[in-house]
Amino acid sequence: MASSIADTSFIIDWVRYSKNKYLFKIFDLVYIPESVLAEIRSERTLIWISEGLEEGKLAVFPELPDISREALDLVARSRRFPVRPVDYPEAFCLVVGKRFNLVVLSENGGVLALRSYDPEYYGVEVWRAIDVLYKLWRLNYVNSFKEELELYQQETRRAYSRRDLIRYGDISENK
Amino acid sequence: MVILVKINEEKLREWVERFREAREIRRRHANWEFIKSQSPRIRVALEYYIETGDFRTAAKMANMGVDEFVDMAKDQANIPAID
Repeated sequence: MASSIADTSFIIDWVRYSKNKYLFKIFDLVYIPESVLAEIRSERTLIWISEGLEEGKLAVFPELPDISREALDLVARSRRFPVRPVDYPEAFCLVVGKRFNLVVLSENGGVLALRSYDPEYYGVEVWRAIDVLYKLWRLNYVNSFKEELELYQQETRRAYSRRDLIRYGDISENK
Repeated sequence: MVILVKINEEKLREWVERFREAREIRRRHANWEFIKSQSPRIRVALEYYIETGDFRTAAKMANMGVDEFVDMAKDQANIPAID
């Protein structure tokens, strides 16, 4: 199994999903940066994080000076373009993903955009919840991708655009 | 030191359009009655979130945690999370 690093946008959606523990069927370890942990306040999210830490499924990724420096450069660079920029916690995750070959879990539009327009980050694997759900279905942890996606959107109030759905053959059930 | 990176401009344009579409969806689904009934701090934060999708700055404006703000935006202001 792979490891990943999750940013705030992913976590605050994912904890609302009734099968949120299924994340650990895909990833043996999910890192959470200190900067992400610091901005979480709600009881539900903190309980999910504390349980994950206790079970050894989550780990806090420390602030490392050279990663922080590159993340700050990335924040500044992303602000030169006419699209949503990345903030420090997301930039930190992208840099860690690049350096340590970890999957970055994010729903942040700035991250998704940057990964597609900035060649330095083309190689970073960024997964949204829809990608995790697809993987769960492919591995037979859930019966129907379409139904699971509907449940996820209903429980988390995350909406995926037509463009996102088309990537999966318009939520095809063909494996 | 200046590092020159060749940006994929076509992708950049595509994302400008995607963010515009997302903003339209947030505007359309928002519970404007709820938003207008809020204190200026919360109302402006929710309006900023609708226009930009930037939950972090919006949460700071509202003086709330990011998760508390996004939950309020979803559950009370009916603003879907979409990027």
